[in-house]
Amino acid sequence: MEHIRNFCIIAHIDHGKSTLADRLIQTCGGIAQRDLHEQMLDSMDIERERGITIKSNTITLNYCGPDGKDYLLNLIDTPGHVDFSHEVRRSLMACEGALIIVDASQGVEAQTVANLYMALEHDLELLPIINKIDLPSADIERAQEAIDAELGLDPFAAIPISAKNGINIEAVLQGIVEKLPPPQGDPSAPLKALVFDAHFDKFRGVILQCRVMEGTLKPRDMIHFMHADRDFKVDEVGYNQFQLNPRKQLSAGEVGYIVAGVKSVQDIEIGDTITLLDRPADEPIPGYQPARQVVFSSIYPMDTGEYEELTKALEKLAINDAALTFEKDSSAALGFGFRCGFLGLLHLDVIQERLQREFDIGLVISAPSVKYKLTLRDGSEIDVDNPSYWPDPMSIESASEPYIKASILTPEEYVGGVMELCREHRSESQTMDYLSAKRLEVTSIMPLGEVLFDFYGKLKMLTRGYGSFDYEPIEYRTTDIVKVDILVNKEPVDTLSYLVHRDKARSRALHYCEQLAKEIPRHQFKIPIQGAIGGEIIARTTVAPYRKDVTEKLYGGDVTRKKKLLEKQKKGKAKMKQFGSVNIPQKAFVSVLRADDD
Amino acid sequence: MNHVSPRATYLHIPFCVHRCGYCNFTVITGRDDLVEPLLAAIATELSWLDSPCPVETLYFGGGTPTYLSPTHLSTLCEMALKWHPLVSGYEWTVEANPGDLDLEKIDVLAAQGVNRLSLGSQSFRKEKLTLLERDHSADDIRKCVELCRQAGITFSLDLIFGTPGETLAQWQTDLEQAIQLEPNHISTYGLTFERGTQFWNRLQHKELIPVAEELERDMYLLAIDMLTRAGFGHYEISNFARPGHRSRHNETYWSGRGYFAAGPGAARYVDGVRQTNHRSTTTYLRRIQQGRSPVAEEERLDDVAKAREALVFGLRRIAGIERTSFEAQTGITLETLAGDTVRRFVDLGMLTDDGQRIRLTREGLLVSDALWPELL
Repeated sequence: MEHIRNFCIIAHIDHGKSTLADRLIQTCGGIAQRDLHEQMLDSMDIERERGITIKSNTITLNYCGPDGKDYLLNLIDTPGHVDFSHEVRRSLMACEGALIIVDASQGVEAQTVANLYMALEHDLELLPIINKIDLPSADIERAQEAIDAELGLDPFAAIPISAKNGINIEAVLQGIVEKLPPPQGDPSAPLKALVFDAHFDKFRGVILQCRVMEGTLKPRDMIHFMHADRDFKVDEVGYNQFQLNPRKQLSAGEVGYIVAGVKSVQDIEIGDTITLLDRPADEPIPGYQPARQVVFSSIYPMDTGEYEELTKALEKLAINDAALTFEKDSSAALGFGFRCGFLGLLHLDVIQERLQREFDIGLVISAPSVKYKLTLRDGSEIDVDNPSYWPDPMSIESASEPYIKASILTPEEYVGGVMELCREHRSESQTMDYLSAKRLEVTSIMPLGEVLFDFYGKLKMLTRGYGSFDYEPIEYRTTDIVKVDILVNKEPVDTLSYLVHRDKARSRALHYCEQLAKEIPRHQFKIPIQGAIGGEIIARTTVAPYRKDVTEKLYGGDVTRKKKLLEKQKKGKAKMKQFGSVNIPQKAFVSVLRADDD
Repeated sequence: MNHVSPRATYLHIPFCVHRCGYCNFTVITGRDDLVEPLLAAIATELSWLDSPCPVETLYFGGGTPTYLSPTHLSTLCEMALKWHPLVSGYEWTVEANPGDLDLEKIDVLAAQGVNRLSLGSQSFRKEKLTLLERDHSADDIRKCVELCRQAGITFSLDLIFGTPGETLAQWQTDLEQAIQLEPNHISTYGLTFERGTQFWNRLQHKELIPVAEELERDMYLLAIDMLTRAGFGHYEISNFARPGHRSRHNETYWSGRGYFAAGPGAARYVDGVRQTNHRSTTTYLRRIQQGRSPVAEEERLDDVAKAREALVFGLRRIAGIERTSFEAQTGITLETLAGDTVRRFVDLGMLTDDGQRIRLTREGLLVSDALWPELL
């Protein structure tokens, strides 16, 4: 066991986490050069494009240490976004140590600090790395100062490297075996293995990633999921080495995969503890939290004929995404679709993008909503997360909405702006704490619904990217929620309706109207766009009609060219959804949901 | 629709002194060495007709046909007539640039039988002509008009409006000066910024600011009003003619009838097939010289496609579309083709329908491009 190291890499987006991972893999010969494409660990296209990691991946590396002994290094990748913080926690729970990357030219970033605290919570040993020392703007001394002042780590332990150019990678590997502790645990104790990730393989079924804490696991063992209360028989265990390398067993301290006839990730819970059915552990590994859906939105196919395809696509995604929930929904304007639950806005984004990209389905998505709890005048209580099911306002006795404790880390100079932003978003209290001389944590008690719209982007903007944001739900509090309808050419478009606090109704409605006016192309007639609460119009804009739009030259040579143009326009029209006599492009449905892109 | 042999021919002469900033036509400059090979190539392409096809209208466009020397012009006319002899009562139009038309050239054209010139006058105002990169002056236009009169050739004036910075008053002056010259025909075009032109680039770099849509609309309406009052019938979106002087050749295009064509970038419509020759003059030449087809694009239209084209392009004519003759021409009734769409546009005030004939209203005319995709 002393020759095993389980570690992860903590870094701000773009500071070189994936590049360093690639170098470690290369140096240890974990993969043939020809199979190496950049950022091995980020296997989804979306991850590589956005430079973020959504699904964690794990790899076991063979490394011959400076002492001449062979080590097994388990690199456990972690996602880098607040929506997936519970996944980060699970990954950290599987590790004893972490590499903390600091950019030699940019210093310490907020996200790094946030993840550092999370790592400290899990008692991880930390090894600072100063990356990008090859850049002309690199300032190693300043980076060391930052490591001391902002991270509170020993600056002289920091290893200066260039992951891009492969400089000093060997020192990182040495640091891992020398500075990070080996795992502990008793191989003969009752089995306790943490499932920290799972993915679906069409040939093998679900492949579980786990860290064995105590005991030993072998093929043919009957295993028991302690939270999900389900049993499976183990077919195979082994190491992840870019292919699955079967082993005779996995025992305490080891990280590896399990194939056990699980058909879908929906059947199990990530973060669950596996034990043996015939010799169970007394209690599961502490710290388990089930994935929680806090954001709900309806998804419709742009083309009603694609409903079947959407169904299949969601089923396919759900096989690999335990956090995604969906149930049938319908709209007067758009036909059948699904009401889906997400971990957060990025999760929604990722699902939406994967549906469009991997399954080529055009989508219309409704405004994300939280779940409101209503007490009706007849005394009954209902939960509503979908504007379509919002009851007659006269029947509502009281309503409450979920509140969160938001934790925002920001450099000192932006704290005023951050507090203001929280207040604008109906924060009920804000406190602040100095984490270091220049860095503060603002804790704000505020409605979750308020951070779904226009919050994260604004935070990033006003802190110049340095602000980070995390939250935990706390409780439901009384609120005054109204349903706003959006009328295009006097017709309500049901998928554009949303639930909002009365004080915010007007400004949000105006935003909707303005975005729609921007995206809806001009027609031959004037199109009024209105926001309304019941019969009361609270916001309006108009799309002016065409005034002059005419091809003046059309002679023999122009016919073919003109027809091509017209056919292109016609195709463009097909990408729009017709409501009455108005064509609304898909883009319009997306743009109303974003406040921060212009 | 039965296939009758086309009664119109278009020849494309790509040469120009200079490619104007707004022009995206098939044009070549600074290659006088290609004039003779090109004439030979057009002769070859025409000879592939096998036997001469008489036509009612002949049209030389460009580029600038009058860029050719008198001798070359003669050659071109002769070979056109060899393969497309003109029937009596014909119309033979040549596009001309006021900058390079002279007495000698016009004499050649008149002697060959050309009876209509389309003058690329564009404007009478110096600054506007400079902006458009035209090499002629208002005096050149007047001189050409005089030459036409002396030669007994009727002429049409082209005018561009809505150039960056242009005012309504300036456009009015252009229209007045054009009317004063007493042409039989006027075409007016709002300036457009086409991809691949200098103007497009300058627009992207904000060096050129297009006139406001509302002003462009007023300019177009002013042209309709002034020209109509001056006795020109508005017969197609951009075209105005004194009685009996419509461009018969161009009416072929709008009515969905066929036409022959030769030359680089030229388009023909024969036996229900639309073809466009390669737009590159050198590629066109090489292909012809190698005995290969110069066609770059081809589209065979079925009856419904033909009918839709006839509907969309026919509505460009102010007289609109007459139901009975439409059905006779296309074999499809207007009702089956686009009944619902037509009714919707009538409701929106874009079309009028008296039961026999549909036509664009003035408002419909102004926004006609927004209507076409739904009719096609």
